[in-house]
Amino acid sequence: MKPRIVLAAFIIPLGLIIAAIPQNTTVPYKLTAHQLLAESNLRSKYVSPEQVAHMLVSKDPTLQLIDVRSQDEYDKYHLEGAVNIPITDLLAEKYAYLINQEVKMNVFYSNGTVVANEAWMITRQLGYNNNYILEGGLNYWAETILNPIKPANTSPNEEFARYDFRKAAGTALGAAPAETLTAPENSQPATAIPIIVKPKKKKAAGGC
Amino acid sequence: MGPLIVNEIITENTNLLFAFLIGIGFGFVLEQSGFSSSRKLAGVFYGYDAVVLKVFFTAAITGMLGLLFFSLFGWLDLSLVYINPTFLSSSILGGVIMGAGFIIGGYCPGTSFCGASIGKIDAFVFIAGLFIGVALFGWGFPLWEKLYLAKDLGDPKVSRLLGISDGLFALLLILVALVMFWAAELAEKKFPREEY
Amino acid sequence: MNAKKYINPYLGGVLLGMVLLAANFVSGRGLGASGAIKSCIVSAATTVAPAAAENSGFITEYTEKHDGHPMKSWLVFQMLGVIVGGFVSGVIAGRLKWKVEHSPKITSKKRLVLALTGGILFGWGSQMGRGCTSGSALSGMAVLSLGGFVSMMAIFGTAFALAYFFRKNWI
Repeated sequence: MKPRIVLAAFIIPLGLIIAAIPQNTTVPYKLTAHQLLAESNLRSKYVSPEQVAHMLVSKDPTLQLIDVRSQDEYDKYHLEGAVNIPITDLLAEKYAYLINQEVKMNVFYSNGTVVANEAWMITRQLGYNNNYILEGGLNYWAETILNPIKPANTSPNEEFARYDFRKAAGTALGAAPAETLTAPENSQPATAIPIIVKPKKKKAAGGC
Repeated sequence: MGPLIVNEIITENTNLLFAFLIGIGFGFVLEQSGFSSSRKLAGVFYGYDAVVLKVFFTAAITGMLGLLFFSLFGWLDLSLVYINPTFLSSSILGGVIMGAGFIIGGYCPGTSFCGASIGKIDAFVFIAGLFIGVALFGWGFPLWEKLYLAKDLGDPKVSRLLGISDGLFALLLILVALVMFWAAELAEKKFPREEY
Repeated sequence: MNAKKYINPYLGGVLLGMVLLAANFVSGRGLGASGAIKSCIVSAATTVAPAAAENSGFITEYTEKHDGHPMKSWLVFQMLGVIVGGFVSGVIAGRLKWKVEHSPKITSKKRLVLALTGGILFGWGSQMGRGCTSGSALSGMAVLSLGGFVSMMAIFGTAFALAYFFRKNWI
């Protein structure tokens, strides 16, 4: 048999198969459903408001707050230094460098935790690391950091220490300070200029 | 899973080792197929020896089918594979100049190294020419920089431009290639030449 | 020396396709040749005339895209492999021989002049076209890149068109 016919006998059927089968467009998931379930039950995916407040006050450069609410809500109020990535745009190419990186600590937040949780789920499933959720969302943030409730006189000392921290942080972060006579500090205009971190996974370089 | 280097399964240096091994395979196959002989290479343009056409298209099709099947089985993430960018003007102009170089010099860069490795002196001279040509390009770069960067189309896939799936395009290319092979074999019969 | 016959071109093509596939699987890129020469030129230029190299758009474009020493590149290692692979194949097939291959109708000297001319043209064209036959046309076609097909058609089309004028050199 001619080699050309032999070749044809192999590549034509293979060509037919590949033409008939739909392309594999599934994103390769890095986690199985079981792993994801196990991870999402961990408390470690949450970051407490205190920790975020502490990082904000100390201007920790590794913190990257990501507001997953809509643009309108973001414009009305957002945490200092937060970037707005509405959940609907989470997978947009232009944000990939932000959510898929290994340097900063991303903290998703929404009003509650539902939307932030969704964002975390999606990014985690894509295999991205360093993504966290603000515990309790903005609502809890307001309760704890902006308007901390003064503990009862009978409370243990730690309660008071926490209250003092929250109040101090809240003041620093622009909440109206209660029980003080000093004029409220103006909240610094939140800058939404993210530091561009080199994307970890780059296409292989090539070319002649 | 693949590409191994992008997914950090192997290190940068292992990658270079693989480059060397892949190069050995590349050179070995080229030489075994007869790409070390300029007269054999040039044969395709006169119809007496279509080895270039056959090897070139069979290799492109094998590679293409392999990539598509690897992607189908989830072994290779095609979105991480380098796709040559398309700059229309420079691609065409470069291709035309390369075509002229091919018919005048009888080699292309890969095959000239292959020919040189078995002692073809014309291949060594061709390589010397390549160095001069690349240096000239670099030296006069400002003169043609504009042209070099003109008509940037990104890295489009032909299949996407035609609006068909990659697989269907591969099938069409296979059929076209087989017709060309058939025509080439007719030509080889018509213009018989000794083996070089 | 009795040279062995070449392998069947279709078999050669399948094997070459597998090498290409391996390159894509391991390194996410295709094969290439002229890039290795570019690396050599870049490293020579930066060593001999660093000041001039700084000002050359061609070289800065290269160094921006590549970290480390220009010679420590994938293509340089691959081309070293090509030389070894070609040599091994030549030894096995008994094809090792110093010679200038040319048509009986032209002299060796003419062949060498033509080879040099062709080399210069190919070198220049490979930079303009962002890759040679292997780097742009073959590897580009395997990943269905438009640029690969354009290069392939331009290279082979021109060579076919000019073949008539250079027939004495080959037939």
